[in-house]
Amino acid sequence: MNPPNTDRSEMGMDLDSIDRILAAEEPLFPSSGFLASVMQGVREEAAAPPPIPFPWKRVLPGVVLIAGVFAWGVFEFACNGLPAVGSVPLALPHLSAAAVRSLEQASWIAGALGVSLLSWLLSRRLAGRSGLL
Amino acid sequence: MQPRPIFCGPTPQRVPYVTASASCAADDLDDVNRVLAGDTQAFEGIVRRWQGPLVNMAWRYCRDRSRAEELAQEAFIRAWRGLAQWRRESSFSTWLFALAANVFRSDLKRFPTVSVPVEAAPEPSSPATQHSVLAAQFNADSVRRAVLALPSRYREPVVLYYFHEMDLSAAARTMGLPEGTMKARLSRARALLRRRFPQLEAQHDAMEFLAPNPGKEASR
Repeated sequence: MNPPNTDRSEMGMDLDSIDRILAAEEPLFPSSGFLASVMQGVREEAAAPPPIPFPWKRVLPGVVLIAGVFAWGVFEFACNGLPAVGSVPLALPHLSAAAVRSLEQASWIAGALGVSLLSWLLSRRLAGRSGLL
Repeated sequence: MQPRPIFCGPTPQRVPYVTASASCAADDLDDVNRVLAGDTQAFEGIVRRWQGPLVNMAWRYCRDRSRAEELAQEAFIRAWRGLAQWRRESSFSTWLFALAANVFRSDLKRFPTVSVPVEAAPEPSSPATQHSVLAAQFNADSVRRAVLALPSRYREPVVLYYFHEMDLSAAARTMGLPEGTMKARLSRARALLRRRFPQLEAQHDAMEFLAPNPGKEASR
């Protein structure tokens, strides 16, 4: 049995009527078929084929390739693009701070949508190769 | 003859179903090891030992017998799936109760029981106007239904606290809450129930026969 909880008196939880009522539940016995029903469910689970693992072997080369291309692009831009941009006198139109913020947010959303689209296309392609589609 | 559920540990008259003895823990460990080694049938021992507690726990969450069995079955299936995730730092029963509480909570969130706000729960009757036994029974039902009508953050601590035979730390472990938080929520829940049923305090003596508690008498 559990030892009596001494904390109860500290929080003003002496055994009063509400305690007595809630503590005095008659135990409910499971119905006759409960055990068999649970074991049937367990056997079905055991017989079910294992879930298809995520195809990391197929995805990994693609991820590495994309990361490599991205890194190469950043490197190229840093080496060649930045000096060129610096040398060209840019006549940027004047934009208010609020407009700049909106454009920035819109570009983030566009980027996120692009990434989502790419991942969707990639997953469709992989699923198609696996014969799931 | 219908086999009765096996409860571990001593079998006193009242609510023994949560108690787990050392031999029960050893049986659990043995069965879990066998299941993990591929013996599906060994899970039956676990179900036999814990079907009573889980069905009773689910019953306290929903007060619907058939739904309680469905919920308990779902909890056992989840336990089967996640058996390898039991890290053996806590007892098997602690892990199983916490998993079951998660199952019951999420299922009841998706398909709530039909309940009324605590203020709209039925009024307890006056023992002066009815037979005292019937009145006490009605009052007990009213209080139990009022627990279901509590806001969810207070309802579950109450359910688990009394399920664990008023063991605060066991209830807190099952909910995955610190004991202090559990204590605060229980106090708030009890305050709500007291506000709903002020007359029960006055009827305290009349309720003695419902659940005689020698412990309290001895401590007086």
